[in-house]
Amino acid sequence: MSDDREASAIMKKTTYRGIEKKQARWGVAFVVPSVLFFCLFSFYPIINAMFTSLFDKRILSLAAPKFLGLGNYIYIFKSASFWNSMRATLVFTLGTFIPLLVFSLMFATFIYNICGRRSRGFFQIAYYTPAVLSSVVAAAIWLLILAPPGLGNQVLNWLCRTPGVDRKWLANGTMLQFSTMLVYFWKYIGYFVILFITGLATIPPTIYEAATIDGSSKWQSFWRITVPLLKPTILLVSVMAMLQCLKTFSTQYLFTQSGGAAQDPINVITLNIYETGIRNQRIGRASAMSIVLFVIMLVLTFAQFKISKSDDVDY
Amino acid sequence: MKKAIIILTIVALIAPMALFAQGSKEASGPITIKFWTHEDVNRNPLELQYIAEFEAANPNVKVEYTTQASGKMADIVQTAFAANQGPTIFNLPISDEYAYIVNGRVAPVDAKAAGYADYQAIKSAYVDGTLDSVTVDGKIYGLPLELTNWAILLNKGIFRDAGLDPDKDYPKTWEDMVAVSEKIIQRDGDIITRRGFDFRYGYYLEWLVPMVEQLGGKLISDDGKTAIVGDDAWLKVLTFMQQWGPNGKNLGSSTYTAARKLFNKNNGDIAMALTGYYQTARIAEENPEFYASGDLMVIPFPQFKDAVKEVANCYYGHFYMVNAQASKAEQEAAWKLIGYLLSHGDEYLDKAALPQPTKKLFESPEYKAKPYTDVFSADMEKAHIMYYSENSAEMQKLLKSAVESVMLSGVSPEKALATLKASAQELIDEN
Amino acid sequence: MTDKTIASNRSSGLLFALKRVPWARILIWFLLIVMLVFCVMPLVFMVTASMMPASDIIKMPYRWIPRDFHVENYVKAIKGNDGSFTFPRNILNSLIVALTVAFTTVLLASLTGYGLAKFRFRGRNFVFMMIMATMMIPFEAIMIPLYMVATGLHIQNTYLGLILPFLVSAFGVFQMRQYLLTFPGEFLDAARVDGMGEIGIFTKIVLPNCTPVIATLGILSFRGQWDNLLWPLLIVQDEKMKTIPLYISKFAEEKATDEGAMMAVAVLASIPMFILFFALSKYFIGGAAVYESRKG
Repeated sequence: MSDDREASAIMKKTTYRGIEKKQARWGVAFVVPSVLFFCLFSFYPIINAMFTSLFDKRILSLAAPKFLGLGNYIYIFKSASFWNSMRATLVFTLGTFIPLLVFSLMFATFIYNICGRRSRGFFQIAYYTPAVLSSVVAAAIWLLILAPPGLGNQVLNWLCRTPGVDRKWLANGTMLQFSTMLVYFWKYIGYFVILFITGLATIPPTIYEAATIDGSSKWQSFWRITVPLLKPTILLVSVMAMLQCLKTFSTQYLFTQSGGAAQDPINVITLNIYETGIRNQRIGRASAMSIVLFVIMLVLTFAQFKISKSDDVDY
Repeated sequence: MKKAIIILTIVALIAPMALFAQGSKEASGPITIKFWTHEDVNRNPLELQYIAEFEAANPNVKVEYTTQASGKMADIVQTAFAANQGPTIFNLPISDEYAYIVNGRVAPVDAKAAGYADYQAIKSAYVDGTLDSVTVDGKIYGLPLELTNWAILLNKGIFRDAGLDPDKDYPKTWEDMVAVSEKIIQRDGDIITRRGFDFRYGYYLEWLVPMVEQLGGKLISDDGKTAIVGDDAWLKVLTFMQQWGPNGKNLGSSTYTAARKLFNKNNGDIAMALTGYYQTARIAEENPEFYASGDLMVIPFPQFKDAVKEVANCYYGHFYMVNAQASKAEQEAAWKLIGYLLSHGDEYLDKAALPQPTKKLFESPEYKAKPYTDVFSADMEKAHIMYYSENSAEMQKLLKSAVESVMLSGVSPEKALATLKASAQELIDEN
Repeated sequence: MTDKTIASNRSSGLLFALKRVPWARILIWFLLIVMLVFCVMPLVFMVTASMMPASDIIKMPYRWIPRDFHVENYVKAIKGNDGSFTFPRNILNSLIVALTVAFTTVLLASLTGYGLAKFRFRGRNFVFMMIMATMMIPFEAIMIPLYMVATGLHIQNTYLGLILPFLVSAFGVFQMRQYLLTFPGEFLDAARVDGMGEIGIFTKIVLPNCTPVIATLGILSFRGQWDNLLWPLLIVQDEKMKTIPLYISKFAEEKATDEGAMMAVAVLASIPMFILFFALSKYFIGGAAVYESRKG
């Protein structure tokens, strides 16, 4: 009797494990195509770049490059140009992603609570339209607006009743940084508003009801219920916004290329990498900078995930 | 499972290496030449016509002609060469091209294929010294498409509108230039609506260096060991630029539309532009009324009042070069094509206003009789070729940084000079 | 959940507070409108500038209403400065590339996201994290090695060369996985018990229920490719194979271009994106769409 039970138990285990194994194999099958793709088009190139960063490789040179070990890294950590790029990237990222986060949450809350169904959609579409333009087009338009005779000066002078003042949007170093942040903000605000509204819509209204019954004020409801429950969305938005800002390239590239703007104030790290690698032909040094950027992004993303995990909210 | 993934990953990482095993290119059949050049509204159709003729005469050769915006050419050609996929024929300004010679990426001229008896014949066909920049160890690595210098194009109409007599009051010194610009300039508050003159920002090796040399300074010392010689001269020029810009007299800046783009339109936006002879052909095509009105004038490059030397705007050259990694047959066909194209010097001059520095052309009465060439020729005699080296692109960037920092970012000329000196020295120390 | 309860719950939040501070509502609308103007004004500028000759554009003050429709700008935009009419061909190229990438991204991202979300296998989390890590690789870092891979495959100047490196996006995988994590597993098990094959389950049950995410992902991928400048710049030299951003930036740098023609090019290049966006906007907008999809 016990033999039978043992036998059936063993059989149950094996069939169960068999189903599991089959499932696992299907899972792998679904995942393998893109993994292969990433290996070829992402991992191989980045590993190649890591390898290159250890050499003094010049783009045009056919000779074997000199092995520098960590030489490139030591050079860039001592170079003023690299630290300027770090500063420019940091300033740009903080100056863009914090306002983006704050204002998109703010506008999303406004739109979600105040607007009727029709105007909700209208506002979201209107705010998103800048993102529909390609970066080259957006840069071309903003360069015309920010040029001394352009709309930027005209509108600001009209609002402040100061005719003829040139705000030096592209000429003054600080204003230039502000201008790039402005363009980025303009481009991405709509997208993040939409993300937040999606997040807001996933909070069941029953929670608000329960809170009201328990005597919570609306202001308290917002901070104690809405914000914590929006955490996953906030995390998603802030990680994405931060990564986008760190990777920013086309706005700065097009401003300096076709806009005649000075490069040093907005020489973000990606622009520096491009210039060092392609213009100045030092692909070894450029690869080192890229690896540093990559590591920074990994660390910051990881940190953000860690921070948010510690206060997960369940309901 | 994990093991499988790891093995798969390793295979996936190694497999691409196999892709890069490239067999040598054997050309026994039809030869394809990839010809990359920069866009030029007048030159491109001309060359396409010659290429058609060439292909008809050489049926086993096919030419793929592609054009890029001139600002992007350097980057694109470089990337292609980096992957060993460079075009067969290309041209860039010599300051960008020199690195290709030094790194052995371009092949020496095949004299016979290009239509010359030998190297001597090539040398004697061209004006003395114009092939120096592409001659290394006695071998010539490119043939010139153009040798161009810049002078100042002037719009007489705007001068008269500002109450000046263009024939008498045109600026001969840089101090004059400031005074004249101040008379011509019109502003709405701080915002400039009409400029007298503006510089060609981004091309500092071409015009900034001569300005410094006028005052006795140098970019590189004669022995090639020191960078940025003659602090006083450099300081004076940097201060001049600072005074020119928005933080000084506000006479112009890089943030306004480039002078050479506005000049052709004759819209009252700018009175003078620093540009080359080819621009006159563009004006003739774009704005024939302006060209025919007689209001177009060319004046020489201004000199500082207390200049110790008379130096005009540097000239630069574009040379057609051939990829050293192309097969022998492709190289030969390429030089044949280049020789054929360049043999039409007269049409290049007539239709595209590009003077090739052949003795025949420069000394011909037709060239001398063409309007405006006299000023350009006279200036060219006072000029030298722009700085070229393996790192000239980076040197250009350093100068740009220095000028931008004093003009736009409010850095003091002394500080900018110190930074420039340090970085430039590091650059030439590498060589 | 009826509209009425939604409305009352939503409004009870902020509006309750506002009843005490009536001017707050006006302030909020004012802010919303200011933001609206800020977002839309550059676009209005682009359209009006495209109808003016360049000299009018840089004259101060800017006249918002053009004197007449300066058709030359558009003619120049389509003809190109060399009169070769490559513009329509370039639009076609961009369309082909962007549509294909959108399609493959949606397909592959959903396959991968599904595999990662709903199946258990060893190394699953490792694979997910590796894919996420690729989002952090700056393109400039891998530009040259990627170019070498592409030329090694001899796909330069081809559609394949433009499409292949962007076949699937890590972000897409992330989105699909997050969305599918909350997909009720019972439906899948029930289908399996009914004898449906895995592929069938995927195509008949999973995909149809992912419409909002698929639409969003499709639009974003399309937009990402439509906008791509650096990669086509490297991989395509042949005029006929170039994409729109290349055409625009080449047009912008050409010495013969003026601002009016530039804006005309900008308008024309943006039209396909606008059409796509307005057509699919209802899937894209947050809020209502999410509620509707949770009906299952």
